Amino acid sequence: MNRKIPLGLLLLAAAPVVASGPRGTVPKASANRYPSHAEKDGVSVGAALLTSDEVHKTFVSEVNRCCLVVEVAFYPAKDKPQAVSLDDFSVRVVGAETAVKPSSAKVVAASIQKSAESQRDITVSPSVGVGRESGTYHGTYTEVGVAIGVSEHGSHSGSSERDRDTMSTELSEKGLPEGTASAPVAGYLYFPLTKKKNTPLQLDCVLNGNRVSLTLP
Amino acid sequence: MAARVLLLVTLLTGHAMLAMAIPQQALTSVQKETAASAGDSSKQADDQTAAAPKMDPKDKRDTKPQQKIHVRLGTVSFGLGYSYFSGPYYYPYRVFGFYPYGVAYPALFCDPFGCAYPSLLNPAYSGSLAYAEDKGQVKLTADPKTAEVYIDGGYAGGADQLKTMWLDSGAYDLSLSAKGHKAFHQRIYILSRKSLKVLARLEPEEAPDAAHEKGVKP
Repeated sequence: MNRKIPLGLLLLAAAPVVASGPRGTVPKASANRYPSHAEKDGVSVGAALLTSDEVHKTFVSEVNRCCLVVEVAFYPAKDKPQAVSLDDFSVRVVGAETAVKPSSAKVVAASIQKSAESQRDITVSPSVGVGRESGTYHGTYTEVGVAIGVSEHGSHSGSSERDRDTMSTELSEKGLPEGTASAPVAGYLYFPLTKKKNTPLQLDCVLNGNRVSLTLP
Repeated sequence: MAARVLLLVTLLTGHAMLAMAIPQQALTSVQKETAASAGDSSKQADDQTAAAPKMDPKDKRDTKPQQKIHVRLGTVSFGLGYSYFSGPYYYPYRVFGFYPYGVAYPALFCDPFGCAYPSLLNPAYSGSLAYAEDKGQVKLTADPKTAEVYIDGGYAGGADQLKTMWLDSGAYDLSLSAKGHKAFHQRIYILSRKSLKVLARLEPEEAPDAAHEKGVKP
């Protein structure tokens, strides 16, 4: 018991520090470790498009319902802090003229909630019965049945206001931190797109006023 | 016997038709809702991508959230019954050759064809038992099992007692500690009616003597 008190106090003190603000993800050792990477004026950037399974494992929120998720890492040059902003990114289908900017965590959470609200769960419950009767009328009887229950709208996971706040928190905390970075930073970007098969995407980003394009396989 | 089979087939066919009809109804209502809320979503999209060039119709089609209906297996029930009937009068149900529901069955074994009273096995009522309203489930597997669990810095209990816990929707800092092991920390996000599995393996701490021996070369 004596050991629990200082440990509990330590964890309690560390909790606000751990929970404060967006943190993104841990950047890999270098931009070369990402499937797509580029360098401009000493600034390196790496990017990876997450597959549907990876998104499912990474997020509790069902981001697959609305968005493509791209992990982006920035490696600023030494002694040259790099400004990071969501406005500097866009994704387009290779060859297409139009591009899509990343959505904020709040918008993505609202989109997922809206999708969850309209979903319904259908529960199928089979049953089997066997019985025996004796007396005047005797013999065995059997029965097989299926009961079907349909949930109401808005009863699906992720459909409540509180769930939306939780999803927004998760997406924000795992998202690419915005601001000035003097050390490598990484995080996720959420693009309101659905990828079609065999259609490579192109991630455009602006580094110090120069446009850099990365092909996302 | 033939009448019994006929009734059974009729009931099963009815359920099958119902099962086919319900998803169609649900889909229709989903489409209606989508259509009704199209104004809001398009406004939101316009606000968000004001700086971006407008997307072509194909892209707009891609961004439309997928509407799905989830079908899941509920309670599978199996009933056994026995009854003794010695009445001299004619029993009307025997005409149909099917045993009257609810006589041989105990109260909890409500028949799925027609249930006039609540039952634990009836999916219409069992939902609240499977999932707590507005709470999410955390299935915690810890190694060692004697680890102490802390949620947001507060002591929650032993890992062996908290294999399953229900938490309100939200983000939490989950920590586990055990004597002789490194602490385990994980940020968890709980959504209502959703289950989250957490596997916490606490690595053993290096003994101070062993660490000292490693550093000293002979």
